Amino acid sequence: MVDVVTANNRHKFNGMVDAMHADRKRIFVDSLKWDIPVVDGKYEIDQFDNADAVYLLALDGKKETHLGSVRLLPSSKPHLLGDVFPMLCDNGVPRGDDIWEITRLCTAPQLRGREAWLARSYLAVGMVEFALLYGISKYTCVAETSWLSSIMAVGWECEPLGLPKEINGETVGALIINISPATLQLFRMKMGWRLPVLELDAIAKAA
Amino acid sequence: MSLLEDVQEFVREANRIVEIKDLQTLLEGTVRELGFDYFALVHHVNIYQTSGEVVYLFDFPPAWAELVDRKGYFTDDPVHVACQKSAAPFTWADVPQLITLTTRQAEMLQAAKSAGLGGGFTVPIHIPGEYTGSCTFSTRAGREIPQAALPAAHYVGSFAFEAARRVVQRVAAQRGTRNKTVAQPKLTRRQLDCVVLAGRGKSDKDVAQILGISGQTVHQHMEDAKRKYDVATRMQLIVRALFDSQLAFADLVN
Repeated sequence: MVDVVTANNRHKFNGMVDAMHADRKRIFVDSLKWDIPVVDGKYEIDQFDNADAVYLLALDGKKETHLGSVRLLPSSKPHLLGDVFPMLCDNGVPRGDDIWEITRLCTAPQLRGREAWLARSYLAVGMVEFALLYGISKYTCVAETSWLSSIMAVGWECEPLGLPKEINGETVGALIINISPATLQLFRMKMGWRLPVLELDAIAKAA
Repeated sequence: MSLLEDVQEFVREANRIVEIKDLQTLLEGTVRELGFDYFALVHHVNIYQTSGEVVYLFDFPPAWAELVDRKGYFTDDPVHVACQKSAAPFTWADVPQLITLTTRQAEMLQAAKSAGLGGGFTVPIHIPGEYTGSCTFSTRAGREIPQAALPAAHYVGSFAFEAARRVVQRVAAQRGTRNKTVAQPKLTRRQLDCVVLAGRGKSDKDVAQILGISGQTVHQHMEDAKRKYDVATRMQLIVRALFDSQLAFADLVN
């Protein structure tokens, strides 16, 4: 279902990590027109795709197709909110061993409607399971403000870190999301799932 | 309290709310703190014909509420129509740029002023698979909307709607009136492609050209999709598919 890729085990997932960067380029650069670096004209990779990053990859059964992914970064290390968007936090950037950042959440561009929703659901549940396993109690993220209602409708318990601001023509805001065992219970109930989505035998220790 | 603190306080209080009337009271207070006078937190449905999980909270001058009812303004409220064109919030002054107003709609905006309303700020609420909704804050006649508070109002509107949704869903679950999950018809990739493009206003001919298939095939896909949903018109098909979250609002607007 959802594989956990870290610096320690990514050699087993090289093809899929490449596919992730290629899809990220299609979505964030080609479609959303974000002004972010592209490598070799094909891959969207930035300075936070480093040894501290943990990726959750939603792959097909044969692990040959990238269906969706998300990048998680510890707030105690360089991350987007702390380094690039600290102005979105009115009371300082939250940092701690139990606070990680969610960025580059995407589903493969060829997925439509229900398939994309399913891939996102796997990633959402995966993020909660990962948080509970790694002792993460909060996720931070930067989101375009019109998406806030959809984010909360998924079940995420959000609080604003600052008021929305306009950056590069988009209105964005920093959010902090509280994670607890109740979050996992809620998500599983909504999806009707009983079992973990994270592929546990593939988990390597995060740095 | 700073505007952010107003929002954070609102979020904390809203998370504790169990009864819808408590959300009403909380909103009335917060709305005033932000510099507005009135609010409406609604799903865009005909309240008389829809039951179940519908959000419908408002605090407006009684004369206005009565006029809306009597004239049936809720059927073509220009603010609600503008919400279909925008994911971002807008002021009432923006509405004529977002949609072409019918005579009745222009009359409605005018009537609002006569009924004691000044300006308004609306936060559209688009959640795939659910009715469209909105949170509108407005001022009384003669008062400008508080520009500095609009980002905070955007957040309050979103958080308020979420709080209302949760209460309404919980109540419906308790009463056993939760919208029963009907087996959703599954559209094929191609059928979905055609519905998305039709949703963006493309004719069958345009769709055929864009997808590189024949007009006849497009027509067939639309007919098959309509049959799966058991509806008669394309508009009904688009609405139903949207409702089922097969289409996200973003698909239609982008």
